[in-house]
Amino acid sequence: MLFILLPAAALFAQDTTAIETPEAREGEAVEENTAAAKKYVKNTFESIWLIDNQTVMVPIKGTFEMDILHRFGTIDNGYKDFYGLFASSNIRLGFNYSPTGRLMTGLAITKSNMTWEGYVKYAILTQTRGNEYPVSLTWYSNMAVETRLKENYAHASDRFSYFHQLLIARKINDRISVQVAPSLTHMNFVYGQFVDTSVEKSGKIRERKHDHLAVSVAGRFRIKEGMHIIANYDQPITQHKTGNPHPNLSLGLEVTTSAHAFQIFMGNYYFITPQRNNYYNQNNYRDQQFVIGFNITRLWNF
Amino acid sequence: MKAKSVIVFSLTMVVVTTAGFRMHDQENPWPVPDKFTNMKNPVKPDEESLKTGKALWLKHCQSCHGKSGLGDGSKAAQLKTDPGNFSVAAFQKQTDGAIFYKTSEGKDDMPSFRKKIPDQDDIWSVVNFVRTLKK
Repeated sequence: MLFILLPAAALFAQDTTAIETPEAREGEAVEENTAAAKKYVKNTFESIWLIDNQTVMVPIKGTFEMDILHRFGTIDNGYKDFYGLFASSNIRLGFNYSPTGRLMTGLAITKSNMTWEGYVKYAILTQTRGNEYPVSLTWYSNMAVETRLKENYAHASDRFSYFHQLLIARKINDRISVQVAPSLTHMNFVYGQFVDTSVEKSGKIRERKHDHLAVSVAGRFRIKEGMHIIANYDQPITQHKTGNPHPNLSLGLEVTTSAHAFQIFMGNYYFITPQRNNYYNQNNYRDQQFVIGFNITRLWNF
Repeated sequence: MKAKSVIVFSLTMVVVTTAGFRMHDQENPWPVPDKFTNMKNPVKPDEESLKTGKALWLKHCQSCHGKSGLGDGSKAAQLKTDPGNFSVAAFQKQTDGAIFYKTSEGKDDMPSFRKKIPDQDDIWSVVNFVRTLKK
């Protein structure tokens, strides 16, 4: 998919209006004559989020950000719970800071399993106007720890899980940006691993693997300045013996202002924590098991 | 007689309001350092610059200053300071450097965009776009 998408994107490559110099990215003084400076494409996306995935974007140096993410219940109960809006919802509160123009660090808590996340995101490459770098490349990693009562876990290490993602994006033109993002999830504890001495000498049946690969394909289309259609698809790659997660198909609308981004959408992912979404999602788009959700981000510059 | 009173009252209100803004401007002048007043705009107002400036204007400025810079944005009524009318000669007679300085540094309700728009060329592009608001 990646190898198909990137050359295709290159064919449509053109300069964008949103550019910046590396000096400016680091918040340093820019000389009056910047003509010779390398010009980076800016605003490939308008937020660090694109529905359930991160984007390649790292907020500018000195930005503090607060995120509120909300996922309602599935719509398939219809009016009974008003299409999931009155069902049990999942909420994530996140806070992050960008000490440099390329690095973002953050902390978040999600209601489901009382999951805390610590995360880092680093912009390795930024797409340039002259196609020196045809894509932006960003790395994202998190470590999550579930903080429910200890009765829920056999070992303290069972609380931990990890998620790593390579984000590759290209702003094709002023209207269209696309992103491909392979990811690796590692779960210290997996459901479906239990002892059954009648089957194996070791006594263990490993129905699910600890590591799980997936890939996300996402994009945005600018309707007008500050308003975009956003879409995202997550495809599980690793196959487990049982309980394979379903793909995630999502579509929504994004509205942005100077300091806010608001995304409202419908998709299959409920857990918000990326490793749990990729590993445990059982909402199937073929059964209309969509949830309505929204992301709100607020930026402050220091 | 009644109509005459209404006209007199309306004219009085216009004069008082205008005077109020003028007094406010006079009481709160926005001095611009000579360095900026005399600064030349390094970005040509070509199509690309105007597109960049317009995009930034719509994102960062429109909510207070209005789509056409008339000071009639959706947040304008909540401001303590007059967002001004950018279409008139009184505003447009300022140098590019003065507009750049005010955009970059901010004052009172006008936020500083030095950090939000870190590329100075982009702020110059906003200045170029602001020039197109002249009527």
